[in-house]
Amino acid sequence: MTKTVLECRNLWKVYGDVVALRDVSLEIREGDIKLVFGPSGSGKSTLARCLAMLTTPTKGDVFLEGERLTGPGVDLNKARARIGFVFQQIWLFHHLTAMGNVELGLRRVLKMSKAEARERAMRSLREVKLEDWAGHYPAQMSGGQQQRVGIARALAMEPEIIILDEPTSALDPELTGEVIDALRDLADRGTTMLVISHEMPFAREVADEMIFMDEGAIVERDAPEVFFTNPSSDRARRFMARLIRRTRED
Amino acid sequence: MYFLMKYLPMILRGFVLTVQVTFFGVLMGLALGILLAIGDLYGGRVISTVIKLYVEFFRGSPLIVQLFIFYYSVPNLLGILLDSFTVGLAVFALNSAAYQKGYIKGAMESVFEDQMTAALSLGLTRAQAIRHVVLPQALRIVIPAWSNEFCSLAKSTAALLVIAVPELTSALKAISSWTWRVLETYAFGALIYLVWISAVMKVLDVIYNKVKIHEIEVTA
Repeated sequence: MTKTVLECRNLWKVYGDVVALRDVSLEIREGDIKLVFGPSGSGKSTLARCLAMLTTPTKGDVFLEGERLTGPGVDLNKARARIGFVFQQIWLFHHLTAMGNVELGLRRVLKMSKAEARERAMRSLREVKLEDWAGHYPAQMSGGQQQRVGIARALAMEPEIIILDEPTSALDPELTGEVIDALRDLADRGTTMLVISHEMPFAREVADEMIFMDEGAIVERDAPEVFFTNPSSDRARRFMARLIRRTRED
Repeated sequence: MYFLMKYLPMILRGFVLTVQVTFFGVLMGLALGILLAIGDLYGGRVISTVIKLYVEFFRGSPLIVQLFIFYYSVPNLLGILLDSFTVGLAVFALNSAAYQKGYIKGAMESVFEDQMTAALSLGLTRAQAIRHVVLPQALRIVIPAWSNEFCSLAKSTAALLVIAVPELTSALKAISSWTWRVLETYAFGALIYLVWISAVMKVLDVIYNKVKIHEIEVTA
């Protein structure tokens, strides 16, 4: 039995009158690759942010390797350093080079020496095939390259898990491939991941489990094969039909 | 304008004072302005209200009035003797901080939300995120506004003549009343202001273009 890395129990998030998450429970074990998908506004991003404690849930608990993050007296900065996060809108630090982006957390959070940080950052950039771009600023790179720096930045911290919130959906279609390739490499190395994505071929290939969300709740969770052949819920069936049609047209 | 040669040392002394008050005023104003901006953004309601009152006072009254108030009240209130240069410099720093706070806060807000979230996601504390991510970007963005502030402050130093600081304009005033060559004297003075202010603005412009952050383009 592998250990549980990240877990949420009965998570609720309410913004004013809007219920973004209703009673979501989820457990991610070491080496798991979970893929979350669903229509926009279904609460996927909110779930991702609550799991990473970038947003405080209204109710319910989040545990990182058994430690409750939603209680009082928790050093959330320490916890966040152990959870990698890749943003839909990329959000690189505009004033730093690719190297600077990856180094920042290593230097300031993990307190590495300059040489150590440089070496680790270079390794991460190499893993996303950007070692030749270390000295470039975000504005000098394509969207796909920027997002790979985003992945390297999260990866370099050697987190217990990486959460990716729609890492390809802000990119032009011709740039998604290189990012998907980088994710495939992560999967091959056994990285524990929660990926929000509608890249269905990728999902089918790497996900251990797919989780379909709608209106803030988990509607169905199953192996990819089940979703692709015979989803048990009507909503998932309709959504999958639309997605698969769209993928074929691409 | 040959007659001015005689007064050149006096003009030069005045000019040095003007430059000193401007530079130290702007720099102290910058340091204080950063603190005020951070206090206003993160300090909670009480601190933010106090900062707003401070800013209202300095932006809502004439600089000359502020100079008089401080010159005649602060030494009495504190029970210490302050020379007019020190009082003048303090007022310039306080006044400039009120303006610079606005520019810096605006710049910080423009980089604030997403960059802060990205920094927090790496495990940085809020203070580290401000120090290493938000401020370095805000200070780059703020340079053009800051160069206007410099320009306006450099010229406002002329107001120091009301509290008898012998800066450049005071020197010109004295010389013109001794020589009755009003036009030539002030024209020469205006030229000095023009040259040094444009030179510094030019330098700031070069710095800005060197360090400015290019807009991020998500699509290639």
